[in-house]
Amino acid sequence: MTLILAVCVAVILAVCIYLMLGRELKEVAMGVFLLSHAAHLSIIAMSRSPVLSGAEGHDLKSAPILGMGSQPVDALPQALILTSIVISFAVMGFLLTLIVLTGRRATTLNVDDLAKEQLPTP
Amino acid sequence: MTNHWIILFIIVPQVTGILSVLLMNKIRAQRFIGTLSFVFNTVFSIYLLLEVRAHGTIFVSQMSDWPAPFGISIVFDGLSGLLVAASSMVALGCYIHSFSLMHPMTQRRYFHPLIQLLMFGVNLSFLTGDLFNLFVSFEIMLMASYAMLTLGAERRQLTQAYKYILLNLIASTVFVIAAGLVYGLMGTLNMADLARIVAEKTAPGGEGLPAGFTAVSVMMLLVFGLKGAIFPLWFWLPDTYYTCPISIAAMFSGMLTKVGVYALARTFPLIFAHGAGHSMIMVIFAISAAFTMFLGVLGAVSNHEVRRILAIHVISQVGYMVFGIALMTPIALAGCLFYMIQHMVVKSALFLCCGIMERYAGTDDLYKMGGLLKRDRLLAVLFFVAAMSLVGLPPLSGFFGKLVIIQEGWHIHWWLSVLGLATGALTLLSMLKIWSYGFWNPPKGQHVVVPTGAPRPRMLKSGYFGVTLLVLTALFLGFGAQPVYDIAFQAGEQLTNPRAYISAVLQYDIDAPPHEQLAAAEHDAEVVDPMAVVADEREEATP
Repeated sequence: MTLILAVCVAVILAVCIYLMLGRELKEVAMGVFLLSHAAHLSIIAMSRSPVLSGAEGHDLKSAPILGMGSQPVDALPQALILTSIVISFAVMGFLLTLIVLTGRRATTLNVDDLAKEQLPTP
Repeated sequence: MTNHWIILFIIVPQVTGILSVLLMNKIRAQRFIGTLSFVFNTVFSIYLLLEVRAHGTIFVSQMSDWPAPFGISIVFDGLSGLLVAASSMVALGCYIHSFSLMHPMTQRRYFHPLIQLLMFGVNLSFLTGDLFNLFVSFEIMLMASYAMLTLGAERRQLTQAYKYILLNLIASTVFVIAAGLVYGLMGTLNMADLARIVAEKTAPGGEGLPAGFTAVSVMMLLVFGLKGAIFPLWFWLPDTYYTCPISIAAMFSGMLTKVGVYALARTFPLIFAHGAGHSMIMVIFAISAAFTMFLGVLGAVSNHEVRRILAIHVISQVGYMVFGIALMTPIALAGCLFYMIQHMVVKSALFLCCGIMERYAGTDDLYKMGGLLKRDRLLAVLFFVAAMSLVGLPPLSGFFGKLVIIQEGWHIHWWLSVLGLATGALTLLSMLKIWSYGFWNPPKGQHVVVPTGAPRPRMLKSGYFGVTLLVLTALFLGFGAQPVYDIAFQAGEQLTNPRAYISAVLQYDIDAPPHEQLAAAEHDAEVVDPMAVVADEREEATP
């Protein structure tokens, strides 16, 4: 399972690096969207027992959950992902708004054109 | 020591931010509650710092009263306390300054709520004791800063903002991945708990840290380095600070990079500097400090626009702080901390001065301004004091920061100390450049048409008040360095020897032998065994 997740993360990362190297702001934004998905998938892979052998007294991963069997899945990575999804959603909303605004002001979304236009300001 | 009041540092700016949204069209009311919030934060943090200085206390508050590694801990110790105090002071100065120097249109567009939310994020990142929560607070702070960067939505701002936003987004994602990996490796995200595990595993006879730990450390170095603008990762900074309104630029230059440096200073001595690649990471720190210091100051010397000079100087000064972290001795870390807070105050004061200079000259190009000394003595004095503090002239604050770092560095990396001194000389050069072109040269620029000796523009009054406040703080840091250093030395000691921090946050005595703690933990577990409680309840429920 971890291997499948690792392959997924690698593929998604490759795709988003390709997208982020594009010259269109929309492509770059899509690349950043995907990047956060890769991060979330990689956190999912962390819900197994920790690499370090359990420390005395404090082991988050063996927290007892009522009414469950002996080996419930560790819920904390899911909580982390949920938080992270909300944050990346908010940031994406902001980024898209910014792109729309830039498109209206500058009439182009190509990175090179944008950079050319704002060169010297006398 | 448990003290739940420290949560006020986070709640007060948040509530004030929400209130200012409700008071959207009443600028005076917004300003009043905003100022009140910053004054409260400053006064309360100084009050707690006095306590910290007297008894070496570490104030801890566990959110929802979950015991330490399970919940989120909020920790107020010397390191975070000094930074919270300094950033509240800087925010207060910049906020007051913005009343008169920020365009009214820009102020109307959510500036007041945003500055509060920015402080909310900054304070939370200084105070949190949890790695993932640090990520969340970074995001809160960054979200507010993205919005503030694009306030007014000018063309130039919009195009420049992408560099900052995209780089920070990528850094944040790397941070999430790294935090996830830390959890996978160590099974906890609480910094004190991580520090405890690291100390246990790296102690002689311990089993050592897992192989991926160094990789995670390097990822963290990348993330915090990008936020803190250290050597290969600083390219986003000059352009970003160049375009936004001056009061906001002052605030950003004072606070945002310091949050990154703070994260380095907190997590590396405690946790990440102890992996198998320890020596390599220290070398990276040292080299990066060297380049950051020297290239930054070279950039400043070669520019002739005040904003650019000051912005690139931020990078150069970050180099000194990283130098302090690279040495990783208690005294060097104390120097780093002192340098951080003095730099926050002084750099923001310089930016605020630059705002007033722009008002007179109509531009920040040094070749097009001059004669400000005759035009405005007060501004000249304020600028000179701030500039000399930045350079580090002996009775002023920068001197004490540099003195400790360079002296400490002499035994470990003497070449870095020499480079630090050279950087100091070049800093003096670039500040004198502003001084001689802006203040001493024959008058040029807009203000020449105003007769010399005319009263200061009335509308700038709050601008002067903001600058004066920060310059007085900088003078205090210079002439009253001793009490600040008392706290800083304590903090440096606690970073390199985290016993006090760990036992304060995890609330048990780390010095007790492990088997006793194990017994105590088992004893606690018996008392609150949830399954037993549920079984009892069920029995009671069934008649």
